Amino acid sequence: MLADLVQNTLDGLAAGSAYALLAVGFTLIFGVLRRVNLCYGPAIMLGCYAATFVHLSFGAGLLVLALVCVLASVLAGGYVERLCFAPHRKGSGIAAMVASFALWMQLEEVAILALPKHLYPFPALYDGKPIDLAGFTIRVEALVMLGAASVVCAALWWVLYRTRFGIAARAVIDSPLAAELSGISVPRVSMGVFALASAIGGLAGFLVSASFEQVTPMLGMWSTFKGLLAMMLGGLGSLPGAVAGALVLGLVEAHSQWFLGPQLRDLLAFLMLFMLLAIGPRWMTTR
Amino acid sequence: MPALLEVADLVTAYGKIEALKGVTLEVAEGGITCLLGPNGAGKTTLMYSIAGILKPRRGSIRLRGEELGGCAPHEAVSRGIALVPENRLVFPSMSVIDNLEAGAYRRQGGRTGRGEIDADLQRMFGRFPRLKERSAQLAGTLSGGEQQMLAVARALMSRPKLLLMDEPSLGLAPLVVEEIFRIVSELHRDGTTVFLVEQNAHMALKVAQHFYLMEQGRVSFSGDPGSLAEDEVIRRAYLGSAK
Ligand SMILES: Nc1ncnc2c1ncn2[C@@H]1O[C@H](COP(=O)(O)OP(=O)(O)OP(=O)(O)O)[C@@H](O)[C@H]1O
Ligand SMILES: [Mg+2]
Repeated sequence: MLADLVQNTLDGLAAGSAYALLAVGFTLIFGVLRRVNLCYGPAIMLGCYAATFVHLSFGAGLLVLALVCVLASVLAGGYVERLCFAPHRKGSGIAAMVASFALWMQLEEVAILALPKHLYPFPALYDGKPIDLAGFTIRVEALVMLGAASVVCAALWWVLYRTRFGIAARAVIDSPLAAELSGISVPRVSMGVFALASAIGGLAGFLVSASFEQVTPMLGMWSTFKGLLAMMLGGLGSLPGAVAGALVLGLVEAHSQWFLGPQLRDLLAFLMLFMLLAIGPRWMTTR
Repeated sequence: MPALLEVADLVTAYGKIEALKGVTLEVAEGGITCLLGPNGAGKTTLMYSIAGILKPRRGSIRLRGEELGGCAPHEAVSRGIALVPENRLVFPSMSVIDNLEAGAYRRQGGRTGRGEIDADLQRMFGRFPRLKERSAQLAGTLSGGEQQMLAVARALMSRPKLLLMDEPSLGLAPLVVEEIFRIVSELHRDGTTVFLVEQNAHMALKVAQHFYLMEQGRVSFSGDPGSLAEDEVIRRAYLGSAK
């Protein structure tokens, strides 16, 4: 019983780390654009498909695949930004959201045309044995995911709080008008933040694909959904909130899956969101 | 004195409604020029047009003879224009010092050394000691007066040739208003050119060398303080001229 609890907690934190990266990317994009980018996940999915393609064609190793995932996600993200968000910067948020939904369909079609089978194998993050520690088995993948997410979050903090680009990014998130007046090019900085968020998302996609050891076109919807849910749980727009929301989501899922079964797992996640919406709508708007 | 800024026949519109209907005025180099006018006259629209936030439909804006009209806001900052906007618009969830760093954004990473920017930060803290005490505090938690000081300091961090100020005394207590005007005079003494929008005509006429009255998108009067009785200026600045 205790061993299950510990194991589930570790698994939950590992899944939560991937959610955290997704949610952080989502939050950055939401911060600079004040728009929900539904195509966030599908762009990541396309990145993972590119990596799968490279893997199938050249048998490239994990590090190369991670790099391909990140780069291809940034390219796909940039495409989404140019097409959906740059033209609607000052206009309607609904138009941008609908456009991002249309691109979602398009990116999914591209992935299916390029690799038509429903499911492709992805090399495993770690295929050795789990470590045995004081009677608990610890899966190395979980440690890798936790470690990678921690490093990325620390690096992101450094970029945001210790660099010139970080000042500009936070300024744009805080007040685009005041940022313009301070000499910051809002379109340019927004593009930079979008690229950064896509790179973080691409890394999350890589970790997820490698721990599931497969990719399917569903990864797009899955990523958007998990990222959005974690971001909302954390209170829209706060980066530490997004990380906390993601970890809570991961833990709740892991424990409920073990104790209640996989059907109830997703139900519980929805229930949490529902309670949040019903009980504390103010939670969502305070930053 | 030569004109630093020349605005000629400027028309700026929101959709079909022309908020500026052909504005012509000049700001003398090294002086304080003041723009007075009732609510809705178009003062903020003029400031935003000069700062590049709004694109003028017609007319020209020249800084030392160089055309600015239609350039992007960040380019206007590079060319030496800084606006202290109406309602201050500090970055609320950034610290005081990061607000100032954002003001120096154009100068960072380029030819300007870090040392020069640090020296400017120290100068700002010398001029605004209250900002120094609160340098790590989030700007959104400052009082209105402190936020106004921060907005001025942030604008100065870009080392502007021309400082535009849009109603810096708005909503502040009389003592704070006096401090703001004291700072404006000090900036002027140090050689900064100031173009000031005000509703507080009494204070503005004390510091300005030249003023314009604006009504319904047009300049309706231009002169030195003293060329029009103060109560007449105040009447027209608040109410517009009676038709
Ligand atoms: N975003 C906008 N969209 C449409 N009309 C606008 C907009 N902003 C201002 N206006 C209109 O333009 C005119 C001038 O407005 P502006 O804000 O420049 O006046 P102001 O002189 O700064 O007034 P105040 O003293 O109240 O600040 C007003 O009639 C106003 O209703
Ligand atoms: Mg105004």
